[in-house]
Amino acid sequence: MLKFASTRLLSAIPTLFIVSVAVFGLIRLIPGDPASLMLGDLADADALAAARKTMGLDQPVPVQFLIWLGNVVQGDLGRSVLNGQPVLDLVLHRFATSAQMVLIAVGLSVLIAVPLGMAAAWRQNGGLDLTIVALSTLLLSVPTFWLGLMILLAFGLKLGWLPVLGYVSIADNPVAGLIYLVMPVLTLVLHEVGIIVRMARASTLDVLRLDYITHARAKGMSESAVLLHHAARNAFGPTWTLIGLILGNLLGGVAVVETVFTIPGLGRLIVDSIYARDYAVVQGCLLFVALTYLLVNLVVDLLYPLFDPRVTAE
Amino acid sequence: MSLSRSLLHACLSSVALALPGLAMASTLTVQITADIRSSQPGINRDAGTDSVMLNVVEGLVAAGEKGEIRPMLAKDWSVSADGKAYTFTIRDGVKFHNGETMTAADVEWSLEKLIRDPEFSCKTFFDGSRDAKVETIKATDDRTVVITLDRPDAMFLNYMAQAQCGSTGIVHRASFNGDGSWKAPVATGPFVFGDWKRGEGLVLKKFADYSITGDKPDGYGGRKDVLVDQVKYMVVPDTATAVAGLRSGALDVLPYLPPGEAAKLKDEKDFTIVAAPHGGLVTMLFQTTDTLMSNVAMRHAVIAALDTPAIVDSVTYGLGIPNNSLVSSGSLYHTATHDKGYVYDPQAVPALLQKAGYKGEKIVILTNRRSAINYDTAIIAQAMLQSAGINAEIEVLEWASQLDRFNSGKYQIMAFNYSNRTDPGLAYQTVVGSKAKKPNTVWDDADVAALVNKSLQEADPEKRQAIFDDLHARFLDQAPFVMLANGLDVGVSGPKVRGYRTWQGFARFWGVERSE
Repeated sequence: MLKFASTRLLSAIPTLFIVSVAVFGLIRLIPGDPASLMLGDLADADALAAARKTMGLDQPVPVQFLIWLGNVVQGDLGRSVLNGQPVLDLVLHRFATSAQMVLIAVGLSVLIAVPLGMAAAWRQNGGLDLTIVALSTLLLSVPTFWLGLMILLAFGLKLGWLPVLGYVSIADNPVAGLIYLVMPVLTLVLHEVGIIVRMARASTLDVLRLDYITHARAKGMSESAVLLHHAARNAFGPTWTLIGLILGNLLGGVAVVETVFTIPGLGRLIVDSIYARDYAVVQGCLLFVALTYLLVNLVVDLLYPLFDPRVTAE
Repeated sequence: MSLSRSLLHACLSSVALALPGLAMASTLTVQITADIRSSQPGINRDAGTDSVMLNVVEGLVAAGEKGEIRPMLAKDWSVSADGKAYTFTIRDGVKFHNGETMTAADVEWSLEKLIRDPEFSCKTFFDGSRDAKVETIKATDDRTVVITLDRPDAMFLNYMAQAQCGSTGIVHRASFNGDGSWKAPVATGPFVFGDWKRGEGLVLKKFADYSITGDKPDGYGGRKDVLVDQVKYMVVPDTATAVAGLRSGALDVLPYLPPGEAAKLKDEKDFTIVAAPHGGLVTMLFQTTDTLMSNVAMRHAVIAALDTPAIVDSVTYGLGIPNNSLVSSGSLYHTATHDKGYVYDPQAVPALLQKAGYKGEKIVILTNRRSAINYDTAIIAQAMLQSAGINAEIEVLEWASQLDRFNSGKYQIMAFNYSNRTDPGLAYQTVVGSKAKKPNTVWDDADVAALVNKSLQEADPEKRQAIFDDLHARFLDQAPFVMLANGLDVGVSGPKVRGYRTWQGFARFWGVERSE
């Protein structure tokens, strides 16, 4: 397993290098000058030139890249041109905010969606199945910004049960922190449940059609015993892979949910930085997101044999 | 009380303290759409940052309601006969937020530090590259500071009062760390800079020892009675969320709401809409080096096809005031002469187009979605131009891309807003110049440039008025761009708020009360 993990980690290096080249190049291909955005319509040619020099934008792009890469290798992702903060601090702080919301949301989604998906498969084509499939399709189809706003209007404004605005870190005040997370987490859960239910249902259906399930039934085992003891573990494998992908994706930022619920997370930082052409922050964030994605999927692969012994982490 | 009840009580108390709607008495909660860039006035700033920080810092002088220069930390000043030396007398007993009394030496130190800072956003106002150079700043005694320029500059005090210069705010040495880096503002304003959580918001607290008084509130000068204990700014980027926050009571003031959103709240008795124009310019720029738009008859044809009052009324939902003059409608220089504007005359368009030799070529109007006013202006203008026989199309760009096109001058027509210029001379200076030297210049005319420079050097209000009148006549004649209105700020305050009003695009929180 150690060999597998180290091989995967080593193979991540070229991936991260490609990501860094792509991110560095793409952000510079978008029209828009960070210096003129910073100075606005006050800018004259001298002021713009001075600002570009301060930001290092007067250098050729390959030179800029090499300087940035050299600093990244030493753990320095640069500083934000907007507020002068070190990018690494900014990214880690915002990531922690996003992560607490995403981890809770994904955890809850799995707890709700996997049993629902399996139950739907168990009662395929029945009323329960149709209801679950219809609901999951509906949840999948609803855009998160709309869902978030509806939840905010219902629970925050109409019922007044939850705070409409603001954010408190769980580390600062666990109870208040959790209360502020209820609506964004609910939004994410409802959306992700729709995805996971469908995968759990499909993979359970695949497993239920296999010979060893027929054999278990032929032995006279009850349906619930067949489902829980024989089908569940094997059916969870593909769902686990999907959960890894979802987790990696969401940890990379949930900008829409963060914007609607005023949560200062990584997604909002990325969006704001792209609009402001804050190159260092965009590059730092996206590199971090890529690394997170790779690590999450590595962990998922390492844990996969727990659910499917046929797969080994070798 | 049982342990479980005690725990529940403790939990609820901690939650209550953290919830904005249940926060302490006399807390005014205000939306900001983006976090402030820094807490250092005049350094790494944007309009939103200025709006917050000018509740905290004050300069020697301040802009009054109509753009006149008013005393602030200086109780008065005099100018030497040669116009090069400004002698300021400092008010007695002004306290910094750390309790120390401000002296002339503090003023000298603070101004030297700011004006010589290479990152000062108004560096070019004071280093001789644009106007006069500040040669020396000297505290001649405990209450007197003399600033000497290398040449007379009628705009000097105006520059000192500019918001984007942080009003050249005076800060205490304790605002900086030992290594010279910025820490946090220790200034003299009516609010003390409090806790700032980046990305979330910040708190300004009432400065109990604030002593400067005037007869009445007057721009950034005058009377500043603080009627709340603190102002809590919350970063709420989404408008729908902010409106929900206002309705729930979690927010008291939304200082910058798109006019369309404000219009939806207009008829609800709980909310007070405040709208006021500022010195910004809402325009449709013409690229006068473009093959088509270089023809003045073509530009007049476009203008004749546009019903500018109807456009302004529509894009501001009836909250804006049409103004075809670069002299702001709130300026003391905006006389009846400047009420003269464009004539909507679609019948005249065919003749003008024929004179211009127009043969139905496509004209592209650039716009963006960041500013609802820009976007709506482009949509309505396109329809009006098409109905007048001008083949107008719209290209919507993301804001940074449009700014790039503005700076490079690569456009035909562009819906564009300029930020606040309180003095008409500065408004003209923004748009007038040489396109060869500065591609984002809009009005390239040497005589006009000379007049603008004259307006900036002239201190006599009557002579300045004559210059602005002359410039306006030339502006209507040459039609270098379409001036639609001044920038508009629309804010909304909730049912518990009294006394909030917007001025020149800034959200000031003295004189604002929140009932419990």
